[in-house]
Amino acid sequence: MSDAATHALDHHEPPTSTGIPNKKVLMWAFLGSDCMFFGTLISTHLIYRKISATVNGTPLDIRNIFDIELTSFSTFILLASSLFMALAVSAIHKGNLTGTRWMLFGTVVFGTIFLACQVYEFTHFVYLEGHELTLSTYQGEAHVFGSTFYVLTGTHGTHVAIGVFWLIGWLLYSFTGRMTTADAIDIECCGLYWHFVDIVWIIIFPVVYLMEYAF
Amino acid sequence: MATESVKYVAPETDTKTSSKVFPRPGQNTTGIVNWLTTIDHKKIGLMYGLASLSFLLIGGLEALLIRTQLWSHNMEVLSNRQYNQMFTMHGTTMVFLVIMPMSAAFFNYLMPLQIGARDVAFPRMNTLSLWCFIAGGIILNLSWFFTGGAPAIGWFGYAPLTDNRFAEVLMDMGPDFWIFSLQVLGIASLLASFNFITTIINMRAPGMTMMRMPLFTWMTLFVSFLLILALPAIAIALAELMFDRSYGTNFFDFLEGGKPHLWQHLFWIFGHPEVYILILPAMGIVSEIIPVFSRKPLFGYGLIVFSGAIIGFMGFAVWSHHMFTTGMGIVATSAFSILTMLIAIPTGVKIFNWIGTMWGGRIRFDPPMLFALGFITMFMIGGFTGIMHSSVPIDAQHQDTYFVVAHFHYVLIGGALFGLFAGFYFWLPKITGKMMNKSLGKFVFTLMFIGFNLTFFPMHYLGMIGQPRRTHTYNLGHGFETWNQIATIGSFILGIGVFIGFLQFVHSFCSKKLKPAGKNPWDARTLEWTLSSPVKEHNFARTPIIKARDQAWENNYGPPENHSEKVPLDDHGVHMPDRSWTPLLSGIGLLTMVLGLLFHLSLDQSGEVVRDYTVAIVGGVIFILGVILWAVEGGGGYHLFPKEEDE
Amino acid sequence: MHPRHIPRIVLSFFLFIFLFGGCSRVDHKQSALDPKGLVAQSQYDIFILSVWITIFLFCAVGGCLLYVLLKYRAKNQEEAMEIPSQSHGNSKIESFLILASTVILVILAVPTLQGIVLMNKVPDPDDEATLTRLNLDREQIEGAITVNVTGKRYFWVFEYPQFGIVTANELVFPVSKAIRINLTSEDVIHSFWLPKLAGKMDLMPGHENFMWFIADQEKILSRTDRDGNPYKTDVPTAMPAVFDGSMRDAVFAKQDFNATFEPVGGVFYGQCAEFCGNSHAYMSFRGLAQTDEDFGLWVERLQTAQNPNLKPSKWNSSSEYPKGSIVIAKDESLIDENSEREYRAVTDVKKGNEPSFSSGAWEKLHSDDYEIGKTIFESAQCGQCHALDRTGIGSKGPNLTLFGLRTSLAAGWMRNDRPNLIKWLQNSQDIKFGNLMWNGEGVDDKHGVRSFQPIPIDEVNDSPLKKEEKRLLNEEKKVRVNQLVTYLLEQS
Repeated sequence: MSDAATHALDHHEPPTSTGIPNKKVLMWAFLGSDCMFFGTLISTHLIYRKISATVNGTPLDIRNIFDIELTSFSTFILLASSLFMALAVSAIHKGNLTGTRWMLFGTVVFGTIFLACQVYEFTHFVYLEGHELTLSTYQGEAHVFGSTFYVLTGTHGTHVAIGVFWLIGWLLYSFTGRMTTADAIDIECCGLYWHFVDIVWIIIFPVVYLMEYAF
Repeated sequence: MATESVKYVAPETDTKTSSKVFPRPGQNTTGIVNWLTTIDHKKIGLMYGLASLSFLLIGGLEALLIRTQLWSHNMEVLSNRQYNQMFTMHGTTMVFLVIMPMSAAFFNYLMPLQIGARDVAFPRMNTLSLWCFIAGGIILNLSWFFTGGAPAIGWFGYAPLTDNRFAEVLMDMGPDFWIFSLQVLGIASLLASFNFITTIINMRAPGMTMMRMPLFTWMTLFVSFLLILALPAIAIALAELMFDRSYGTNFFDFLEGGKPHLWQHLFWIFGHPEVYILILPAMGIVSEIIPVFSRKPLFGYGLIVFSGAIIGFMGFAVWSHHMFTTGMGIVATSAFSILTMLIAIPTGVKIFNWIGTMWGGRIRFDPPMLFALGFITMFMIGGFTGIMHSSVPIDAQHQDTYFVVAHFHYVLIGGALFGLFAGFYFWLPKITGKMMNKSLGKFVFTLMFIGFNLTFFPMHYLGMIGQPRRTHTYNLGHGFETWNQIATIGSFILGIGVFIGFLQFVHSFCSKKLKPAGKNPWDARTLEWTLSSPVKEHNFARTPIIKARDQAWENNYGPPENHSEKVPLDDHGVHMPDRSWTPLLSGIGLLTMVLGLLFHLSLDQSGEVVRDYTVAIVGGVIFILGVILWAVEGGGGYHLFPKEEDE
Repeated sequence: MHPRHIPRIVLSFFLFIFLFGGCSRVDHKQSALDPKGLVAQSQYDIFILSVWITIFLFCAVGGCLLYVLLKYRAKNQEEAMEIPSQSHGNSKIESFLILASTVILVILAVPTLQGIVLMNKVPDPDDEATLTRLNLDREQIEGAITVNVTGKRYFWVFEYPQFGIVTANELVFPVSKAIRINLTSEDVIHSFWLPKLAGKMDLMPGHENFMWFIADQEKILSRTDRDGNPYKTDVPTAMPAVFDGSMRDAVFAKQDFNATFEPVGGVFYGQCAEFCGNSHAYMSFRGLAQTDEDFGLWVERLQTAQNPNLKPSKWNSSSEYPKGSIVIAKDESLIDENSEREYRAVTDVKKGNEPSFSSGAWEKLHSDDYEIGKTIFESAQCGQCHALDRTGIGSKGPNLTLFGLRTSLAAGWMRNDRPNLIKWLQNSQDIKFGNLMWNGEGVDDKHGVRSFQPIPIDEVNDSPLKKEEKRLLNEEKKVRVNQLVTYLLEQS
């Protein structure tokens, strides 16, 4: 970037009324809205939980479908990725470019592992002998569990995927040599998003998975 | 809108990091390119306004067809399916393509001026919001031309009527168009709202504390919060419906475990805040106009702000009053009934305060004030019938009759539309720099007021003697004819009034004969009236330092310590962001993607369903490309060096 | 008055006309302002209370507004430029107004809550206090009639589980008993609305809703004449019996179908109130109030008609038949050698006395047209969707048992008489577009269902011979549809 450009950019971020950067306020507003998206999906799932409890009049034990060990593992992975994300944000604030790069890389890898687990889980559910949970059926019978489950966890997965691509974007950018502490705010927004997606999973995991084992 | 007094800096000092493919148009761009690539909140506001006024004419035409069909019993102006399409499109158009974007037009144009900002926080995002809105409008109205025609499901799209199982035309695409257009319009509203929230929280001029903000800006803030919190509910409901229709999920399919109730809850969790999303902007406009034409500050400013917040907050707790007849049980209906009654209190507070503002003032009856007074009286009637509906036993008779139609038209035409028209008459001199003919304005008001009451007042009575809504005809012998005829005549008078108003607005942009408005023709009170009319590209040459609530008024009449000061000019000048093609590109990508999704299904020769996502993927790629270019091109910008008083 | 006040004056004028002039008579057929039962009365009372509150508020607030506008208007240019005192508010007044509005809401909230309980719960017969307050007898509640209402596109199924009978589109009920209504739907959402007796309640698919009502005989007998003066009628005039056709006759005789006000007090008009598709506007129904006795007899008629064990059997040469017995036996002259018809024994008939025209012991139960109509009903496969002599729960179409006693056709849309029924059978889509009665789509013109629709005659292109041929064919079709109509209307 030329000097003039940096000069112009300085003017882009005039002191705000609250002192918080605009991008951060935007991100918080978006996350507030996103809470409602997931709130709606999770409520849908909970409302249908009772109805999902039977198939063809016989009680349905969703535990037979779930692979709780795998999901616990992917939950752990996603939580761990949050740590990397936090370290990345901290590194960019300190101007530690190498550290940022590695931590971003770690987040991307862990995010990808989570996604891979989810892809495995979905295909496993669809082809699991004797269960065959699809969007519209369970064991070949019309059922609502697949609808609420796949759409809820799928939306979350989409969020993780978008996050991974976003992080990859920054990772690539870090190799252009233009990354400075001025970009810290962008990485921080990215981090806010990533932590939010993790927190949502912390809600989904007990509500969708663990509750089946508790009640 | 640059004038000679603005000295442009040499181009080489500009930031030019944009790609070669879509170079950012320069600062001197004019003509169509200027409008397509603008990121100026004022131009965006104007486009929002023009588009929503055009949709008002389309939606109004649909309303007139509906009224013509109901002229007498067993009329055949429209077939029953056409009628059902008309009322679906009329409702959807008026809510999503007229009142919401018209409010957004005012938000865009005025809110930054009122808080002393040079633009919104994210100008390019604002442009994308505009193109999403246009795309949504196009998608919805494209539905007329494809299988099944426009949707015939009502603007509320109650499941399971939207299910393929109950489609009355084979492969009916109407509901799909409806779903996707609402999704795209939702994106537009979300983007705009994030922007407004950030702008209001972060970009106020020095000294513009929250409690010094004009009422209209407060309402912008509340509406934006309502939108970002309410839209997700319907976005998810629509997504679930889309999955139901296209991929066989069972969210709302009662034969396979779904619950039609769920759709109603999700729809109204959005739908009720939506009602306040429609009315709060008009309340904000009226709260600006009444003090100006009474020459008094707003009575109980704090209370009006607070009541706006309460209304917004409680708006999320009363959605089930749209569902009193769906069998929710004694406890739920009682609770929602009482909560709904409570919401009348903050609404009443506003009306008391408006009257309190006028008390002891010097009231002038210019067109904006007439519309504002029309708003108060008509909204009052709409509010009273609303209180009636909050009582479940009354609602058991009124639900889905013309009484309800009368009620919400009193709120949405007598309320929202009158408020927005008041806003047009009030602020167009600021926008065009020319005064409109007052007599014509009063004539428009008279036509609209009489036509409106003639149309909708008899509907109260029609509802009570048993005319159900959403019926394309009625039988002989119910005694509905006379009152329907009066309503139809009234609707044409109203239509003529709105049309003349529309012509007057457009004329005031084109005409060279109208007399210039000057900075502050109404002797108004808020910050935008310290600027020249029309407002310069850079809004404020020097950022004002705010000392009091009604700054324009205080500058003229207030004590010296309340006069605003200015942040001195520096040698950087005013930084202006560059125009950009990327929002338009992303918008086109989104439109292509949606069209691709709409038409992805086809039947091959053997009758098998074939899914072809090529177009959708191409659209998605264009969208992502647009976003990437957007990110890469950076903020950009150029500098203006206006003189001190050039604002 | 200044010209600027003209709109306001015009409005006040209209308000006056609407409130006092137009509403002098409010007992329209489907009016919620003319309650004839306890539940509707309670809803009406709360509504009127809310109207008074509204009028009070409108006068108070509107009066204030008008006063302010008149008093503080700028009378000339100088005054318009004056600067009044810049007062910012008065917290005492504001708090007072908030308090006052709360009080007004409480006035409405209390009856609202009572009304909600009344709508949703039939009073407990052991709760003397409530019964006294509502002016009800214990037996009115204890003898409650249950009706299961199912909404279908675009008609209504009324099932009386206590009696094991099913009818459609006309709800017959005793005037003195509480009627409990269970509502559900088999396709989309409908809403059951009987304005004069109760409010409305939705019929949700996969979910059962409840409402109840009880008619009030005194109110049914109180009528208003053309000039709006009240008068009393007697029970036979207001509530003619349904079971023997007097209701139908009374409705047809007195009622110009187009008359705005229903002359027979016991006839109630209802309507589907939730948008349900193309034919939603046509989905209405009727409620027919009956005395206890008449209701009992109607139930008996319907039970007999829908009892499969009471159907006439084939004539058997080894049985004796007492006078009045009905049998099915051959009548070769009817259509062909295989055709059969119903006979009634005129006297006691001995063994082996085969029914025939000559013997004198038997007579035809029905006309020839009726019997031919019956075969048409079968050959056109009407019975696939319509149950005519059985309960036929789950049938696609409305139950047609005792169809000839019905006052209305096409879900309450038109009078159930011969010309209308012919029009309906010839092409129901012309009358009620979007209705789901099969009009013979997907079969050729020879199929029975298509045999009623007249063939369009092209006056220009058809040759005279062709025209003649078509005309003859149409005549034949007309005869056939008339025979079917005879069969249907004689179901009584």
